Amino acid sequence: MNGRRLSRSVSDMIEIEHLTKRYGKKTAVDDLTFNVKPGVVTGFLGPNGAGKSTTMRAIVGLDAPTGGLARVNGKHYSEFRSPLTEVGALLEAKSVHAGRSAYKHLLGLARTHGIPKRRVTEVIDLVGLHEVAGKRVGGFSLGMGQRLGIAVALLGDPAVLILDEPVNGLDPDGVKWIRLLLKGLAAEGRTVFLSSHLMSELAQTAEQLIVIGQGKLLADTTVEDFVSGNGKSHVRVVSPDAAQLAEHLTGPGISISSPEKGVLEVTGTEAAVVGQAAAAHNLVLHELHTVRGSLEDAFMQLTADAVEYHQTTEGANR
Amino acid sequence: MTAAAMTDRPAAFAPSGKYKLSAAGLLSSEWTKLWSLRSTWIVLLCAVVFSAGLGALISGSVPSDQGLSGAETALGFAMAGVSLSSVFVAVLGILTITGEYSTGSIRSTMSAAPKRLGVLFAKAAVFGAVVAVLFTVMVFATFYLSQALLDGTPLGGVSLGDDGVLRALVGYIAMIVYLALLAIAIGSILRNSAGSIGFYIGVIMILPQLATLLPWNWVSDVTPYAPGNVPNSIALVDPSSGTLGLGESWLWMGIWLVVAYGLAGVLLKRRDV
Repeated sequence: MNGRRLSRSVSDMIEIEHLTKRYGKKTAVDDLTFNVKPGVVTGFLGPNGAGKSTTMRAIVGLDAPTGGLARVNGKHYSEFRSPLTEVGALLEAKSVHAGRSAYKHLLGLARTHGIPKRRVTEVIDLVGLHEVAGKRVGGFSLGMGQRLGIAVALLGDPAVLILDEPVNGLDPDGVKWIRLLLKGLAAEGRTVFLSSHLMSELAQTAEQLIVIGQGKLLADTTVEDFVSGNGKSHVRVVSPDAAQLAEHLTGPGISISSPEKGVLEVTGTEAAVVGQAAAAHNLVLHELHTVRGSLEDAFMQLTADAVEYHQTTEGANR
Repeated sequence: MTAAAMTDRPAAFAPSGKYKLSAAGLLSSEWTKLWSLRSTWIVLLCAVVFSAGLGALISGSVPSDQGLSGAETALGFAMAGVSLSSVFVAVLGILTITGEYSTGSIRSTMSAAPKRLGVLFAKAAVFGAVVAVLFTVMVFATFYLSQALLDGTPLGGVSLGDDGVLRALVGYIAMIVYLALLAIAIGSILRNSAGSIGFYIGVIMILPQLATLLPWNWVSDVTPYAPGNVPNSIALVDPSSGTLGLGESWLWMGIWLVVAYGLAGVLLKRRDV
């Protein structure tokens, strides 16, 4: 088994191929195909009900796909001889018996793989649950439940981490902690795949980005490309000579709209170009600045169609 | 991807390979999980108190002028509590699995053991063994306690060496273990605590008794083969008085367990967690 460490190449660790999952008539995941690479944090973005959790459950074999397949390191999850060391998953917070202590919950899982008590204590310390490890989980806050879920995911020191909305319920300190933790784990060559419905959350943690809506793939890109490609920025100009200025701002890719009299919104150029055009023609400017599209705008823009589609079908079914 | 980007990225992390999912691991895990819940201790304590307490209470209050005698009757009095405490055992067996579904811990369990069937069999083995050990102690302790209280009455003086007595006591232990295993399978099939407990009490315990009141002959022909009735003969000192023979009784217990675990196993594999 020593040769194994060397033989692993940098290939796609999670492969989703034409994955489809229907619950009765409802299609949760619809012909989804994407890959997740090791060594970087990959974000999984989509509005609520987009199929993120279903996809993640399919990866660890809890839900059987209606069609297509989900593989980890070339295998179906159930084929692994030591699943916990291959994939660590945080699926839903509090996948724990409320009457059991955090320590015993972790120990019960550790025992299945012969993982020693030392490792259980280690992950409890790592997630900062040392003081409450002996308490029953029923009394845990949402944040403590999340930390326990993260401890479960890390228990087997796995090569792949799948985390469904890991920052839910964490305080700002906790959010910062998990960001650093996940980046560190990815830097060790692990595959880190985490979902969120908040773009801003992922933008600070993830490098790669998979965006889905209505169970369909909307984007498979880097966070950087996603933001620059989808986050529209424009130049806002307030001028008493707006109409004249607009005539001088022509060129390829430039488009101008006027939301109200004396105000222009120019896309496809920069504020400096607009300022120079105004100076060259002696036009008065009252205001000139660049309005950057936020990440949430970019996300909303991309998922708008999916959400609208969702609402029309809801109406039609009624 | 450029060559530079390739070298930027660290080599993929490989897991250590020291740890393996194993049958022994699953048994150890279920053992840890069983004893880490307060409800296990409470319910088993209830079973112990009930089986010894009721046996002693009945044995201690038998009027001496009833003209009752014989090992069969003596054992019936002694084991009244043991028979009834099978309800506690069945409820606990059901909860070991439905409790996982109601709290969501089944997702952790099945992520650790994605082949799933091992979990069901490990639960059954661990709980079956715990019940077997506990009730071996309880059945013999209650027998001696009851005989001490019945000493001097026509029901006293029954010894383990008497014909069929030891076999009947072992039969009581086997009956409790059989019902405990049946309960786990029911819990796995129905997944819901209230539904499973209701099914166990209604269909396994009460329905066969009620059915004997129905006027049709075929019903009384069938009821001895109901899953709750088949172990009755093995707990008799004189099995010839039972509706099923001794061998038939064991055979039908086996058949019902195979049916229950077959169905539970197929459903566990097929359904989403």
